[in-house]
Amino acid sequence: MLEVHGLTKAYGSLVAVDDLSFKIEQGEFATLLGPSGCGKSTTLHTIAGLRAATEGSVSLRGEDVTNVPTDERNIGFVFQHSALFPHMTALENITYGLEMQGFEGRDHDEQAQRFLEMVQLGDHGDHKPTELSGGQQRRLSLARALAYEPDILLLDEPLTGLDRVLREDMRNEIKQIQREVDVTTLHVTHDQAEALSMSDRVIVMNDGQKEQEGSPKELYRAPDTEFVAEFVGKSTKFTGTATAPSSSGDGQVLATDTAAVSVGDRRIEFADTDDSVDEQVSLYVRPEQIDIRKTGQQTGTANAFEATVAHIEYLGHRNEIEATLEDGTTVTAYADATIDLELGEAITIEFDPSDVIVL
Amino acid sequence: MRTITVSSAALPRPVRRFVSPRVLIGIGLLWLSVFFVVPVVYLLFESLNFGDGSLLANYEQALQAVYRQALYRTFGYALLTTVLTLLLGYLTAYYIAFKSSRPFLLLTLVLLPLWVAIIIRFFGVRLFFLSSGPVQQLFGTDFGIMNSRNGVILGLMSALLPFAVLPIYNSLQSIDDELIHASRTLGAGQFQTLRSVIFPLSLSGVIAATLFVFILAAGSFLAPAIMGGPSNFMMANVIEEAQSYSVSLAAAMAVVFTGSLLIVIGAFNHVANVSEVLGDL
Repeated sequence: MLEVHGLTKAYGSLVAVDDLSFKIEQGEFATLLGPSGCGKSTTLHTIAGLRAATEGSVSLRGEDVTNVPTDERNIGFVFQHSALFPHMTALENITYGLEMQGFEGRDHDEQAQRFLEMVQLGDHGDHKPTELSGGQQRRLSLARALAYEPDILLLDEPLTGLDRVLREDMRNEIKQIQREVDVTTLHVTHDQAEALSMSDRVIVMNDGQKEQEGSPKELYRAPDTEFVAEFVGKSTKFTGTATAPSSSGDGQVLATDTAAVSVGDRRIEFADTDDSVDEQVSLYVRPEQIDIRKTGQQTGTANAFEATVAHIEYLGHRNEIEATLEDGTTVTAYADATIDLELGEAITIEFDPSDVIVL
Repeated sequence: MRTITVSSAALPRPVRRFVSPRVLIGIGLLWLSVFFVVPVVYLLFESLNFGDGSLLANYEQALQAVYRQALYRTFGYALLTTVLTLLLGYLTAYYIAFKSSRPFLLLTLVLLPLWVAIIIRFFGVRLFFLSSGPVQQLFGTDFGIMNSRNGVILGLMSALLPFAVLPIYNSLQSIDDELIHASRTLGAGQFQTLRSVIFPLSLSGVIAATLFVFILAAGSFLAPAIMGGPSNFMMANVIEEAQSYSVSLAAAMAVVFTGSLLIVIGAFNHVANVSEVLGDL
């Protein structure tokens, strides 16, 4: 449906997008995820034709549209701040697009009304955008971008500036409407939770380049790079040099020499996949893989360390705990809300070698 | 609506007495009354005839055919100037706001002529078109500009262009780029975007520019005096002439002119809701 090939966008000597390539299939919901300034928004604007590519090409429906003006690309674009026309009513905002695109399927007012209803603005058709709430404005903006049935929907951080609760509602609503209309969607965000919850596929960008591409699950469970491991989801990082499998191990388990340095006299064991002996490695452990026990309740797992509770964040259903190891490393873990922990309390943290991400 | 609270509590006591809000507003009101309200009331008084004949005898004179014609001519010229200046001003402002990479340099250039007295600029233009000037030397004709309506309009346009460019530029550059981009993604071409999005959103600037240019053009004295001939005189010139032989007649004409101008502005306000627009600026 959409194919971006070797896309490069430079502003003088500053390269915003550097040789980026990816494809999106019909009906897919894909997200470009990255920190601000990583070039994701520039990429989206270039796909829309609002900025010219320095190099590379953009194809839609198998046609090269690199040099086609924006208004002939048949795209739907939802802007960061809604970009509703203040001098038109809600209905007129939608019919404007229908007229400009020469929409023929149905009477324009009727089609516009249908989409107003889809975003629960059925009886707000004669309101001016300024008379709508922040959430309503975003929904109207979405309806406007979809009403003329574009080939692809481009979302440029459409939830910026909304409060957290509204943002979470809107995520679900956008996702639901996207499925209902069955439109291929490319979404841009810096919010990893948003990306993971909405997308079929996520393309992580950093410094104008693609870091990794995959389903939310793949990115979270098997990040390819340290950047992805740190940017997508929370984790605790350990670094050290990998050593050969310990003599007592079964050959599949290697240990790093962090034993003496970072974690008291213990070694962190992990299931190695590519025999990275004597290499500098980074280990990541996700908070939900870490068990917290009150000291004294040993279970004999390979990776068990003494720690002190440094910070407790009450989330209701569970607590997020930051605990400090002997060497000062801060570990993030979740504790069941039924476990009573005090600040400064000595605890044991444990995790299974097979749950360690090795990079 | 923004309000600024003037707190005088922080000032030393003797100073505080002199900068109290009442004193501040008093200075302004006093100035306005002495130099504006009193003269206008006096003008009204002067225009009435307390001697023999009708009280409005001066008005009967002020409304005779030759002066009525001058009044129509004044508004005609002002209207023509407004239309042409706004067209030129819109194009200039559009270019500066959207196409130029150095908007502030261009704005400075637009404003630069205001540093030179209008009368000097008019003399410059006059020299340019005079029989000894480059245009006549080169083309053998002044294209009907000297001592004619065209000359007056040209002079007014050159003098008033900055007053059109500035408010229009201001309204254009405050249009969010996202709106223009949105129009393009919705399938509108450049011209259609200009027509349906940019122009409607710049109306406040257009209306402000219309007011500035029309009022300034209607009251113009120098342009007809220097660029036109006696048959192109506008109300300011006619009133100035009349003043030399009958102050009362001149006063009555001034009242008629100002009254008509207010009516025209009132009618315009009825269509365009000026106060709301000026509040936006």
